[in-house]
Amino acid sequence: MQLFRNVFESFVFIYGSTMLFMYALLAILSLRGIIRFQRKNSYVDYNKMLQSPIAPGISIIAPAFNEGVTIIQNVRSLLTLNYPRYEVIIVNDGSTDDTLEKLIKEFQLQVVDFAYNERIKSQPVKRLFKSSNSAYEKLVVIDKVNGKSKADASNAGINAAAYDYFLCTDVDCIIEKDTLLRMIKPFMDEEHNKIKEIGEPCPECGYIHVVEDSIRVIATGATLRLANSCEVDEGVITRVRPPEKWLPRFQEMEYLRAYVLGKMGWSVINCVPNVSGGLGLFDKEIAIKAGGYDSKSFAEDMDIVTRMCTYMIDNKLKYAIRYIPTTQCWTEGPPTMKVFSRQRTRWGRGLAEIITIHRKVIFNPHYKRLGMIVLPYNLLFEFLAPIIEITGVFYYIYQIVTGSINWHNALILLAFVYFYSVMITTLAILWDQITYKHYKTWEEVIGLALMAFLEPFVYHPMIVFFALRGYFHFITGRKHSWGNMQRQGFGQRKPANT
Amino acid sequence: MEYNLYDFRGSSLNIQIAIIFIIIAVSFTVLAYLSILTGRYKAYQREKKLASLHPVIDNLLMEHILLNDELASDIPAEQVALPIEVFRLPVFEHRWARQALIDRLIDYRNNVRGAMGEQLRNLYIQLELDKDSLKKMKSSKWDKKVQALAELSNMNMSIADVTILPLTNSSNRELRAAARHAYIKLSKNEPFKFFEVVTEPLLMWDQVELFKIISTTEHIAIPNFAQWITYSSNKSIVSFCLKLVVHYNQISAVPAVVKLLDTKDHYLRADAINCLGKLKMESVEDKLLQMYDSQPLNCQLEILKALGRISSGRHVDFLRQEFLHATDFDVRKHAAKSIINNKWAAKGIIEELVETATAENKLILKHSMNPLIKY
Repeated sequence: MQLFRNVFESFVFIYGSTMLFMYALLAILSLRGIIRFQRKNSYVDYNKMLQSPIAPGISIIAPAFNEGVTIIQNVRSLLTLNYPRYEVIIVNDGSTDDTLEKLIKEFQLQVVDFAYNERIKSQPVKRLFKSSNSAYEKLVVIDKVNGKSKADASNAGINAAAYDYFLCTDVDCIIEKDTLLRMIKPFMDEEHNKIKEIGEPCPECGYIHVVEDSIRVIATGATLRLANSCEVDEGVITRVRPPEKWLPRFQEMEYLRAYVLGKMGWSVINCVPNVSGGLGLFDKEIAIKAGGYDSKSFAEDMDIVTRMCTYMIDNKLKYAIRYIPTTQCWTEGPPTMKVFSRQRTRWGRGLAEIITIHRKVIFNPHYKRLGMIVLPYNLLFEFLAPIIEITGVFYYIYQIVTGSINWHNALILLAFVYFYSVMITTLAILWDQITYKHYKTWEEVIGLALMAFLEPFVYHPMIVFFALRGYFHFITGRKHSWGNMQRQGFGQRKPANT
Repeated sequence: MEYNLYDFRGSSLNIQIAIIFIIIAVSFTVLAYLSILTGRYKAYQREKKLASLHPVIDNLLMEHILLNDELASDIPAEQVALPIEVFRLPVFEHRWARQALIDRLIDYRNNVRGAMGEQLRNLYIQLELDKDSLKKMKSSKWDKKVQALAELSNMNMSIADVTILPLTNSSNRELRAAARHAYIKLSKNEPFKFFEVVTEPLLMWDQVELFKIISTTEHIAIPNFAQWITYSSNKSIVSFCLKLVVHYNQISAVPAVVKLLDTKDHYLRADAINCLGKLKMESVEDKLLQMYDSQPLNCQLEILKALGRISSGRHVDFLRQEFLHATDFDVRKHAAKSIINNKWAAKGIIEELVETATAENKLILKHSMNPLIKY
């Protein structure tokens, strides 16, 4: 028994220390990435792109399900982004409210005979609309049968997309005006079309065949933040504030840690695990070849990125996924425990699903960084973490009950984890401040940073619980449908009510 | 809890590590808080200083330069004596204030044209701000060099070829891009000379920036881009020149573009076909048709698009065949679009296809015919 205890305690200590070491590494990498981004970006004039006839085209795909309350304002916001060549594809995913009627009326839509090429399977598309008003010529509206997932609607949007790149977002997100300019840059910063010749001249065409040998950027992501408590005017954030209510406030802190510290750090070593469903720019050709979004998946954003990466590796193509640290998208975080628990349970289930579906890639050297770093990290430190944590809690309880606990050592170990997690979160907020000072006052920044002291007692146990519930639903195969997040919309010149 | 060094030494390794990391974590957390606060304070101070300096600069520029009637004469700008004494304020002895003045001058110069723009340049020289920029140019840091290049090119200050040309081929992307932009703007005789020396690729982003600069810089000498299309070994330069040929409708470069149709690189070949289509070169239609069957998909699509753009009406039967018999959706779609672009010569064919085509092909045709749908 003593041997078992020693082994278990050592394992947990080594596991925890490795995880904390990984966080420290990510913090260093992300700081390097942010400083490099800032230095390079300070000389970039994005306006040069504004009227360029050689700018690559982008299709914005925004699925909408029962968004009647805010749809008009949100579409107007998407239609006024700063970019010379783009279209906005709104996918009405079988809404049961007046979303479609409002769109038809407001944007003078009419049904068109659209050559819709179903390269990725989705629920049937009923009609496609274009506006008869040339002011809205960028707008395409797809009306389709409800596919019970955002992924299914996004796939329909990809099929209708005219351009080589597509930006996936939620229709109720607020996107910064310069988002397309900033997010396309990483794609344009790589040496495209560098080729290598392979084999002898082809007997049929006489040419030596060539393949791409350059690094191809297949996706770009950016930081997302919560718009709860921000002031919004005509779809534009006019005053940034950390959320006032405690639940979205914890989420804001968590988002900063995940994006500014986590994904930015991974981006430096080209190991980005996923690009958020809220905002991601993708290479359409690769996304289609990888099969598009999995409409059955609960973590469709991570799934598509993983499949795009495996496609590139299987075809011996070099690829990169980039992240930019600036905040380009604002979303409304779940304001109530009910919605929040549903979201996190779904995320937990999605993670379990990803680990299961892509199990052959994990620890497979053929898949290089994806197989040896990205997915193993997700397995060991994302998927297993809640399980090990809850095991540790039970172990503590057992020790307390049996009176075998060494309080002195136990408290030191708890303090170690506690202060370390506070440090990591505080560093994430500092990195965010280095990137851009969104909050107007120092009190707002410090107020947000102080949440890190409460997180281990209040927020973190909830995250662990919902993740475990998600795993349980995955194992039991319990049905779970995505749907309207019951968003409340963004107010006009007043804090978005949370 | 009382804890001394003796206890620490007597603890297990796990506990020792934990204690060390507690100290590190607390220290870094405190440092992070201090950094957040000092960072914000410094930013606040900087903004405050600039907020008080900018109106001073604006007033000086307005009163003594922009609204100064004495300067609005026909005398060449460089011969006008500017009231530079009023600009010799103690605050401009500080580097940050001089930098603010340079930035403001650039802002103003970007917004005014003609004689006033020249007076701002004069002021930049007479206040010896150019020396600040040249000093940055000599810095070993790439970002300082980029800043200097931007300042000097915005102020239209000449830089020796021997200084700037090597930078156009720098391994640092930002530096080489800035050097190329500056070279295009500042070189009086041969703004495109660096095309001959660059071995580093011209990234897509660089191309967009250069395109903008080339197409908006006044009095720029536009050369025949055929020379680089024919001789450059840098494929990105060739690809960029093809775009410039289209922009300037440079028909004299067409023979060089036609030669490019034999290149082994099918990405470059597709660019060449695209260029010929946009130039509406009817004379190359037969060659394009001849090579069509042996091309990869991207080149085939470009050939179909070119036939639509040229719209000679001579190859509608070929387009009809492709539309009816191709299996690839995109091939059929582009064939249909090109048939519609040739509609002056293909009226009968369009009517026949609308009558007889399969449901999917009919949809493609209607899609192509609908003026609301662009792509």
